[in-house]
Order: sequence, then C-alpha cells, then structure tokens
Amino acid sequence: MSKSGVTRKQLLVAAAPVAAAVPLGRYAVGAAAGVERDAAHLQAGARVGHAAMIGDAVPAPGGPNDLDALLHPPPALPYEPGRVREYTLVAEDRDVEVAAGVTFPAWTYNGTVPGPVIRATEDDLLRVNFVNGGSHPHTIHFHGIHPADMDGVFEVVAPGDRFTYEFPARPFGMQLYHCHATPLKKHIHKGLYGAFIIDPKEPRKPARELVMVMNGFDTDGDGTNNFYTVNGKVFYYAKYPIKVRRSETVRIYLANLTEFDLVNSLHLHGEFFRYYPTGSTDRFEYTDTVMQCQGERGIVEIDFHHNGLFMFHAHQSEFAELGWMGFFDVSD
Amino acid sequence: MDAVAARREGSVRWRLWALVPVVLLVGAVSLFVATGSSVTGLIRENPPEADAFEVRRVTFEPGTIEVAVTNPQQGDLTIATVTVDDAIVPFSLDGPHTLGRLRSSTIVVPYDWVDGEPIVVGVTSSTGIETAHEIAAAVETPGVSARSILGYGLIGFLVGVVPVAFGLLWLPSLRRSAPQWLAAFMALTAGLLTFLAIEALGEALERQAALPSAIGGAGVVLLGVAASYLALTMLSQQLGTREGGGAAPLGGLSLATLVAIGIGLHNFGEGLAIGSSFALGELTLGAFFVVGFMIHNVTEGLGIAAPAAEQGRSVSLRRLAVLTLVAGAPAILGTWVGGFVINDLLGVLFFAAAAGAALQVVTEVGRFVARRAPGGLTSPYALGGFLAGLAVMYATGLLI
Repeated sequence: MSKSGVTRKQLLVAAAPVAAAVPLGRYAVGAAAGVERDAAHLQAGARVGHAAMIGDAVPAPGGPNDLDALLHPPPALPYEPGRVREYTLVAEDRDVEVAAGVTFPAWTYNGTVPGPVIRATEDDLLRVNFVNGGSHPHTIHFHGIHPADMDGVFEVVAPGDRFTYEFPARPFGMQLYHCHATPLKKHIHKGLYGAFIIDPKEPRKPARELVMVMNGFDTDGDGTNNFYTVNGKVFYYAKYPIKVRRSETVRIYLANLTEFDLVNSLHLHGEFFRYYPTGSTDRFEYTDTVMQCQGERGIVEIDFHHNGLFMFHAHQSEFAELGWMGFFDVSD
Repeated sequence: MDAVAARREGSVRWRLWALVPVVLLVGAVSLFVATGSSVTGLIRENPPEADAFEVRRVTFEPGTIEVAVTNPQQGDLTIATVTVDDAIVPFSLDGPHTLGRLRSSTIVVPYDWVDGEPIVVGVTSSTGIETAHEIAAAVETPGVSARSILGYGLIGFLVGVVPVAFGLLWLPSLRRSAPQWLAAFMALTAGLLTFLAIEALGEALERQAALPSAIGGAGVVLLGVAASYLALTMLSQQLGTREGGGAAPLGGLSLATLVAIGIGLHNFGEGLAIGSSFALGELTLGAFFVVGFMIHNVTEGLGIAAPAAEQGRSVSLRRLAVLTLVAGAPAILGTWVGGFVINDLLGVLFFAAAAGAALQVVTEVGRFVARRAPGGLTSPYALGGFLAGLAVMYATGLLI
C-alpha cells in the first residue's frame, strides 16, 4: 500500500496487550464453570430455610453430649439445716468454639462459657473457692442476699490468687453470678458468668429440669455480637434437639447474660408456658414469649400438649438467625 | 591470541562469580527464616493479623449466591461461617477451607435472595473476624451465553466503533482547512488524549487502592504505564524508520495510527469498566448512559482524523476502517472481559496501560505540532486547541 502505511504485522504487535487478555479470560471462565457444577450438586442435595436447619445439616459446633453439664443442673437437695454446699471455680483463659469452626478467646469459669451451674437450697451455707488462673484480675459477684464483703466488687482477686466466698444462699429463685472486675462489659462478654439456682426449702414439684443461659459473642471486638447462643454454642439444640416427654413438666431456669444488646427473649412454638420472673415468688404469667433485660432471669414451666418437634428461639429474628435457635423433640 | 583466550577464560570465571551474591542471599534468607520470629522477637511480638478476607466477586443465580474470596494476608485464613443479611447460612466450598496467602475459594450458598434489594454477605474467619461485603442491589449475574455475548458486543460497538467512525467523517473537512487550523485540531487531539490519560491514571490508582495491599500498590500502575508507554515508543520509532525520517516526528497516517492505538487502549478500559460495573449490578446501563458515551467518543474520531488530514493524499476507505477498528473495537473486547472475567488486577493494569499509551501519543503529537505546525507549540492555535480538547472532553463527560 502507501509507503507511510502500517503493515498487518505492526497492528498485531500493537494489539498484543489486548490479545493477551483472551487466554486469561478463558482461564477465568473455565474456573467459573467448575463452581456451577458444584452448586448444582449442592442444590440437588440440600434443603433451604428452616428445613435445612435441623440435625446434621446445621452449622453447629460440638458433639452430641458436649453441653450436658450446662443443660442439666445438679439435682435439688431437700432442705437440711446447717448444710454446707461447696464449689470450686477456677478462672482460666481458654479458646472455646462458639460457632462451627469459630473459636473465641474466652475468659471462663472452669473452662466453659457459661460457667458451671451452682445450686444450693435456701439457707444452705454456700462456700465457693475461687482460684484466679487467668491473666487478668477477676471476681465473682453473686446475685442474691449476702454481706457486702462477699459481693465480689471490692475483693478483686489478682492472677494466681484465690478467695473464698461464703454466705447463706438466699432467697430461693433463679439467680446468677458473674465477674465484676472492670472494665465490666469486657469481663462479662468474655464469658465470666453462669447460672446460680437456689431451691426453696419446700421442694418444687418434680420436673425435667434444664438450664438455659442466653448469651452473645462479639468475636471481632467491634462492640456488637457476631453470634447468639444458649449455653455457648451456636444452633447447638437445632443440631441436637432436646428430647423431653409429654407426660413430664419441663422446667427451664432461664437467664440473660447477653452483652451489648439490651434485651434477649425466648419464644416457644406450639405451646404456652408459665413464666415465674426471678422464680422467687409463686407469681407467674401464662405466655409463649418472654423478654429479659441484661441480668434478668426467671423460671419457665412447660406442659407439652403435643408430640413432635417444637422450635424455640429468641424472638429477635436476627438473634435467632445468628445462632439462638433450637428444638424440643417431644414424645410419649 | 593467548591473552584473549585467557581473558575469555577469566570472563567465564567472573560470570560464575556473579552467582555468588545470589547463593549468599539464599543462604542468609534461609538462615533468617529458620530462626523463626527470634530476630523480630527481640523488638516485640507481632500483633495478630487482621484476618479479613478479600471478597472478589459476588454472583447471583436463582436460588444461589456465590462469593469468591481471597486471603490477602501473610498467614493462613480459614473460612468458618458464612452469613447473608446477618443470618448464618449453610454453605459449600469450591476450593479449600483454609486459604494460604493469595489463595482463593468460592463459597456457594443456597439462598432465596430478593431481586433488586441490597444484600450483605459476611464471611467469618476461624478467629471470629467477620468480613462483611455489601451489594447495593442483588440482580442475577449474566452468565456466558450467546445472548449476553451479543449484548455486551453491541454495547461495545455502540460506545466504541460507531462514534469513532462518525468522528472520522470530519476528515475531508479537516483536510481542506488552513494549516494553522489543522495545527489547532492536532493540539485538540493532544488535549483529548491528555484528558483521557489523566482519567485512566485516576481510575487505575483508585482501583489499585481497592486491591489487597499484597498485590496492589502504586507500583503496579507505574508498571502498566511504563510498559505501554515504552511499547508505543518502540512502535513509533519503527513507524518513523519506515517513513524514512529517522529522528523526524511522525506525521500523517502513522501518527493517526498511533493515536488510534492509544484511543483503542483507552476504549478497552472504558469497555472493561462498563462491562464489569454492569455485571456486578453497580451500573444502570440506560439509554442516556450509552448516548453519553457515544457523544464523548465522537471526539476521539476527530482526534484520529486530525493527523490523518495532515497527510497530503487521500486515505483509502479500507485504511479508515482499520483505524476505526483499532480505536473502537477494543471497547467490545473490554465489555466482554469486564462482563465475564472481572479481575481487579487486570483492570488496574489495563487502565494504567491506557494512560501510558495516551501519554506517549501526546508526546508524539506534541513533537509533530512543535516541528511542523505554523507557529509551533506556542501559537495561539495550538494552545487554544489543546485547551479546547480538554474542555470538550470535560463537557461531553458530563453526559455520562
């Protein structure tokens, strides 16, 4: 062509950066096709929605009996004058698995969040040997009636030190305990809390007794909870529904130790229950949803009318979908 | 002879000696790595890593959301739980659970998402750190189909090829204009290209800032700019030699070709941006948007026509068609790559390359105007033309 023209070869050279994109593009499209294949496989096998959130498909951590010690309280003992109930609580730093594959660097009493259930009958002398095996100063502050020097506020226990709390257990009801070292919010949300049951001298009527401590975990430290649970593991009772009998009363000692969120709640499907706020009187409310502020607690008594799977969860939907949801498996 | 042989033998020995620093370096690095953190430990313990994922792409298909994540940090990162709109969801993985540095996995979530509503996807590491990624509006991600290939191709054709072709039609009028006016139009071309170069550079820098620091960095942009600038310098050198001018500045069709290549690279980037934004649901490709791009890009045709008009003889239609394709067709390729591939690093490199190419062509045009135009670079025609080029680009850019 003209002498000042450009040959095809020169055009090809100029187009090289553009041409280079083509094999790269092909590579990426190939990778995307692989994903589609797997997605189709997953869709064929999995169910969506709540149907996918029961049993083995549930993304919950832990094995079938991991939370037994927290769910089932030690038995109530009949009143006996002058009896001493002795417990040992050791504060330890421990990584706990709170959601499937997610560990939380917790501060614990005896290695679990929540800590162990403490139980006494009214007027038993409660003696709690506290050993601080953690890396920060801690205390134990019990709810209930006791002397000021047993309140776990001024007697801060340094790491490596110990302290013995001793007082008569009063009044009966569902109480709780937690660390009261500062910063308070940090010491509680890190996991230093648990259920403290005081039984009335006149025993309650026999029932299948359970403990549920509602809590949350702020795993990324941004001041909001990433996960919500009862007894410390996300969706645990969805993966392992709680088996109960229709003929027996189910009594739940329920407490709210969630930090950051003002309230938490329990809603039961297909049934109503008696709710005794704090459980220290015989006054109750007949309902299917109960709300608790931070530190609030009470006793729930359920007499199931029907067999089957009944869901229970926080009625704050976001809490439910971030782990605070489970099932009762009711049978004769 | 002996002396030469000895020197040659000696030179072999010294070439081998060149390996010594490399061997020493490997040794020192191995030794340092073997000591673990004991050296840095003398200063203090390393703080824990951020454990944040880089969410590379979220795609929506009916009943499914797919999230491509990469580990941008030094240490391993494990995908533990996945949330959609703050709800834990079951998921499967295409790729490993635990990602090494810069490794990726695709999370597949069966999910009944709501069309057109915002959605937040969260990926939580085994250490409990949640990376939340918000999508402004969930819309089905176009797959690779004949329809979508045609659709993207047509958009690329409309915003790239058509306006450039129209702009080239100014060629006969330009050829008949006075030399000082032709110089003004050449300067206008330089203005247009400078504007495009700055825009592309800004885009490249913005995109690299969004990359994980491990693979981002302003140096990546420099690499792209330098590579395309130098490649085009070489090309213009060759074109110049062909013209037989030696050190003389390029003119005529050769310069027009160079301008077309620079504009072509820019249009590739433009197509890339349109394609990827549309695919990710970040862009509404309305009629107004396409029209805006068309008006904006007509000026690019003018930019090619100006140097071509300087050529005394008429230019064949075929040659004009080639110029149009070189400048416009990359927009089609760009929309395809942007729409179907989407790689952030690739995007940065292409925008940087576009900036480098445009700058190189500005240099060429500048040389041309300086030597051949009446009054040179400082004539009011040249200065006015350059400013007009910038202004035209800015004004038509407002339409987009």
